[in-house]
Amino acid sequence: MILSALIIVPLIGAILSLLMGGSREKLAKYVAIAFSAITLVMAVLLTFGMFGDFADLSESFVWISNDAFVINYALAVDGLSILMVFLTALLVLLVNIFSLDEHRENNNYFYALIMAMEVGLLGVYMAADYFLFYIMWEVTLIPMYFMISWYGGPRRHYSAIKFFIYTHVASLVMLIGIFAMGYMSVAPGEAVDMSFEAVKAGIGSASLGLQSLVFALLFFGFMVKMPSVPFHTWLPDAHTEAPTEGSVLLAGVMLKMGSYGIIRICVEALPDAAAYWQWVIIAIAIISIIYGAYGCIAQTDLKKMVAFSSISHMGMVMLGIGCLSDAGITFAVFQMFAHGLITAMLFMVCGMTGHKVGTREIPLLGGLAGRMPVYATFMMIAFMASLGLPGLVGFWGEFPVIMAFYEFILANDVLWMLLFCMLSLMLTAGYYLWAMQRTLFGPETTKIDLSKAHDVGHFEFAALLILSILVAFFGVWPDAALQFIEPYTDLLMGVI
Amino acid sequence: MVAEIIESIFGDLTPLATMIIIGIAALALPGIQMFGKRHTATWAFTLIMVLVAMIIDMCLLVDGYAGEYMGVRFTGYSSLLGLLFLIVLFMTILVSNSSVETTRNHAGAYYSLLCGASLGMLFVASSTNLLTIFVGVELTSISSYALVALKRKDGRASEAAVKYAIIGGMSTALTLYGISMLYGITGSVDIAEIAAFLAGYDVTWMVGIAFICMIAGYGFKIAAVPFHMWAPDVYEGAATPVSMFLATGSKKMGLSVFIQVFMVMLIALTVSENVLAEATQYLFAIIAAFTMTVGNVVAIAQTNIKRMLAYSSIAQAGYIMIILAVMTPQAEAAGVFHMFTHVFMKGGAFLIVGALICAGLGEKISDYKGLAKRAPFLAAAMMLFLFSLAGIPPLAGFTSKFFLFASAIGEPGAANGTWVWLAFVAILNSAISLYYYARVVKAMYIEKGATTEKIKIPKPFLAAILICLVFVIVLGVYPDLIFGYCEASFAGLFI
Repeated sequence: MILSALIIVPLIGAILSLLMGGSREKLAKYVAIAFSAITLVMAVLLTFGMFGDFADLSESFVWISNDAFVINYALAVDGLSILMVFLTALLVLLVNIFSLDEHRENNNYFYALIMAMEVGLLGVYMAADYFLFYIMWEVTLIPMYFMISWYGGPRRHYSAIKFFIYTHVASLVMLIGIFAMGYMSVAPGEAVDMSFEAVKAGIGSASLGLQSLVFALLFFGFMVKMPSVPFHTWLPDAHTEAPTEGSVLLAGVMLKMGSYGIIRICVEALPDAAAYWQWVIIAIAIISIIYGAYGCIAQTDLKKMVAFSSISHMGMVMLGIGCLSDAGITFAVFQMFAHGLITAMLFMVCGMTGHKVGTREIPLLGGLAGRMPVYATFMMIAFMASLGLPGLVGFWGEFPVIMAFYEFILANDVLWMLLFCMLSLMLTAGYYLWAMQRTLFGPETTKIDLSKAHDVGHFEFAALLILSILVAFFGVWPDAALQFIEPYTDLLMGVI
Repeated sequence: MVAEIIESIFGDLTPLATMIIIGIAALALPGIQMFGKRHTATWAFTLIMVLVAMIIDMCLLVDGYAGEYMGVRFTGYSSLLGLLFLIVLFMTILVSNSSVETTRNHAGAYYSLLCGASLGMLFVASSTNLLTIFVGVELTSISSYALVALKRKDGRASEAAVKYAIIGGMSTALTLYGISMLYGITGSVDIAEIAAFLAGYDVTWMVGIAFICMIAGYGFKIAAVPFHMWAPDVYEGAATPVSMFLATGSKKMGLSVFIQVFMVMLIALTVSENVLAEATQYLFAIIAAFTMTVGNVVAIAQTNIKRMLAYSSIAQAGYIMIILAVMTPQAEAAGVFHMFTHVFMKGGAFLIVGALICAGLGEKISDYKGLAKRAPFLAAAMMLFLFSLAGIPPLAGFTSKFFLFASAIGEPGAANGTWVWLAFVAILNSAISLYYYARVVKAMYIEKGATTEKIKIPKPFLAAILICLVFVIVLGVYPDLIFGYCEASFAGLFI
């Protein structure tokens, strides 16, 4: 029941904080912290096998059963999802802590939304039934919509609607793919069993043409979520307008739903179709990496720049998946985890810039390191981790993926593709260093009034410190995370 | 057990039990009103009668009772649809006494007309004969015209009633023309007999014309495109409880007619590989695609919430019409299930509009600005109803659309692909619909209103909304509550 508990505890948290209206508004944040802390503790205990090997802990009950469908309430965790579960629980708690310094109108709604999002996210990563997966997928959408449109920046309504429509349409396309998968997996006259296992077992008999069609539908749905060029345009808008907490969760764990879906459903259940589309996946990945990085250079808003960098880094995840090799997928998953930690830091830092300095426009900033040293330190750690400095977690996300891609290049004799890898590395290092130089160093800016700028608050410091420690920890000892991923990819390789 | 008691009371008349009770209510109400002017008594009397009918229907449904009396057949299908119509009637009556829009001076006539209309619906659900269906539909239609006109002080209502009556009359004529042609060709008005005759018959263009006339005639009743023009005007003009009654009740009756006439007939024809069956299926597919698309696209432009709900209701009818193209038992079950969920989500939305009108709020979407602050419960309920209509999980609308669209993709293991495009159109439409539903949510939750004064609404409205809300959530999470009956109802069509 521990898996259900992981969904129910934040759900209770969400309901309780929702009820803390009026005079008890201040309590809501503590309720949220308490419940997200319990969730994190459970997630950690789960990861370290306190409840037995997590791979054996599946739960499954028949939920809806009629002539046409068997739909299960099925939850399961394996090496692919365990890190995402941990990451979700961690980031939700840190976000709650991070936001303690700030006071909002209707605090209780804010925390209820965060906790509701946690329910959906954990649900997506643990679902073992397509129906449940889809429901949870949609559950994450609505709190984020409200998060952006209630607590966001000046253009929040536009961004929230854009976010909602983009991702909802994508998930509807995905839904068609899910339908089709279900129907293809059973013999005529049988009821469709929507559980992952049953579909995976039955779908192999479908023709490659049908499989690749379904793959395309599903892949489209996931790709918009990741997001990949050319369906990325919702992301910079959503990020720029979302409150920091929303951005952190959006980039930290919600984008991973896309890549998680690609691995879990597209590759795992439709390996032949994945091989069929391999070149397309790689092409989309490379375009996203280069375009995302190139887009970063052009940005003047610090947060928007980080948003574009997410497109590039998630492209790296897709590149790893596209290699369809052991190393490629293993490090793609690692990159998902690494990007989750790093991007959370990045958005926290960028969000703070807006609050503490008054603007996020890079051309207006300058010399912040002198006035806000702690802030500058965290920003440097985050930027360095993101550009792949060895010793920090980002390094293990990016370089092994490129190595895996190199194998692919050699195997297919397309050496010229190495150019793209070099270009992406150069661009990434370029925009981060350039941004840092323009904001932190040099003479202090005179374009804005810095007299009220203040350094990091206690709770913000705590959240950022924990993230920095983890970024360094997994950078020095990546095996701490890889040990969970590898058994999964080994199994996956048996299928591919 | 309970069913036996009911049988011992009604004897041979058991198949007619619910109709008898509603009929008695309809006939007695004008009389009751004459004794004393207390409309609350009239209201309570009707409510109790409907409740009794509902309980009887439910018991017979659970018991799986089937019986026949003088050509009226009571089957799993009739009891299920009967339950649906009675639920609609119950909710309409529940809120009518406290609504400012329904004229209390004519309480007797008003409730009597409601019961009369529902009697027609119940009659339709247990008919297997074109003529009895026709009579039932007319009973409902004529009562509905009067119901719309009963909101007398509003010019819009009179206009709507006239429009409704004229278009309704025309559709009646068309239907009758179609039926008479079919009778002329086949020599029967019994649906099963007609199907049997046509199966061994070399189809002529006469049958085609008869079919088209009937589809157009009943298409008017359910406001399928291009016969939908009257619906927004009528729903806007009528008192909101009546709009709800029409959108959820009488429209479902129209769809039920389609199922009872065409599904039964065409499934019989499909067996003999009659060309007519396939052609009609395509016709329905095209109508369905246009209905949902036009409904959704035009809904975007609406500023009046009742009109917006009317267009959304047109679109929802389009979704349900998918089942007439697909023509499988799964599709029928999914369609009936969607009818149920639609009653609760659309009914709930109309109830909220009605409740807010009672509280003095306007009908414009812009009047809903800041509602979340003024009436948190109503705003939350409205949001859930609208999200359910848009098909967002885990609400009822999602689950029923899931079954509905799935049935278009094919039967399990046989994704034959004929109607996949229709599922695609439907899903695309779902996405479009989100836009205008979200606009209301945005007005309620995100935009700031002129005042933050709390809104108080009558208790019966609150109760009815709560009922809808519970079912919208429960049917979303646990569809098996009635989906089994929906599946079983298919067999009832052929008894």
